[in-house]
Amino acid sequence: MSPVTRRRALLLGVVAVVVSAAAVVLSVGLRRDPSAVPSPLIGRTAPDFTLNQLDGKPFTLSTLRGQIVVVNFWASWCTECHTEQSTLNQTWQRFQDSGVVVVGVNFEDTTDDAIDYVRTASVSYPVVEDSDSRTALAYGLRGVPETFVIDRTGRIVDRIIGPVDATRLTNQITSMLPAGEQ
Amino acid sequence: MTATAILPRVRAQLSLILILLALLAAGITLAVVAMRGDGANQSEAQQVQQIAAGLHCPVCKDLSVADSPAPLAQQMREQIAQKLRAGETPDQIRAQFVAAYGDSVLMSPPKRGLSAAVYVLPTIVIAAGLAVATMLVRRWVRRPELESDEDDAAPMAASDRRAVLKAVERLREEEAA
Repeated sequence: MSPVTRRRALLLGVVAVVVSAAAVVLSVGLRRDPSAVPSPLIGRTAPDFTLNQLDGKPFTLSTLRGQIVVVNFWASWCTECHTEQSTLNQTWQRFQDSGVVVVGVNFEDTTDDAIDYVRTASVSYPVVEDSDSRTALAYGLRGVPETFVIDRTGRIVDRIIGPVDATRLTNQITSMLPAGEQ
Repeated sequence: MTATAILPRVRAQLSLILILLALLAAGITLAVVAMRGDGANQSEAQQVQQIAAGLHCPVCKDLSVADSPAPLAQQMREQIAQKLRAGETPDQIRAQFVAAYGDSVLMSPPKRGLSAAVYVLPTIVIAAGLAVATMLVRRWVRRPELESDEDDAAPMAASDRRAVLKAVERLREEEAA
């Protein structure tokens, strides 16, 4: 093989490698869901918070250690939060006797609007106000609704962005309950 | 070698020197900007602005926390100011937001893992470009020399060759006589 032919073959090889690498990157990147943002909090201890409930009484997350906790960030102005409300109410009613607690964290809202919403939507689980968004920022919130499932040891095991899917939430909770309580 | 052959060579060498000087100046500027860091003499507002400018607003599209009017971005700016007053460093504050949101909260990707390619690739491309530029300039520098050599060894015109041959023949005849 002459030097010129060898140089051309080398150049072609380099171009082929670069084009192949670009094709692989694009094929992987284009298949990813741009809205699916993984949370670095999964598997870590849930950030603790002490916030006031709508009646002004303080509520601390860490007092629920040993129970399964569903933390739902919501707002009265958020239409998708209305969509998932029946699922959250049913989950609370079905699992509250099995050591599962649903906690609503009100985000960027007024107390009056939050109280009105809780009354009209028949919310009976504890609801707290995150008035300075400190808790939202600690949980890496990107909008409402967003829901975090915390296991009995206080670790975050699931994060649901958008309205809660009833099947996903039920499966997640039942997988953490003893066989008799499912 | 004639003056017309030397001139292009000098010009090419001058171009090479100018290119190298420009690259050196660019490198020094980049190094100064990179080393300037967060600046200890900045006011708190400037520090908040600088940290916020390096963070993506989590509820916006393509806006930094510094530029976003969203209430959550405003809360982030307030939290940054509180943490600075509490004595936390800009790096510690950034690390806390990264712990909650992941690397995607940073406006510039981190210099590790796959993201490091963003920083390494331009360096490789610049180095390759520099190598190609040097090669081309060297070739330009060498060309006038080759051209002048070619001029010296240029073939004779047919009429000149005939005249030379005639003269040689005449000399031989004279010697023989």
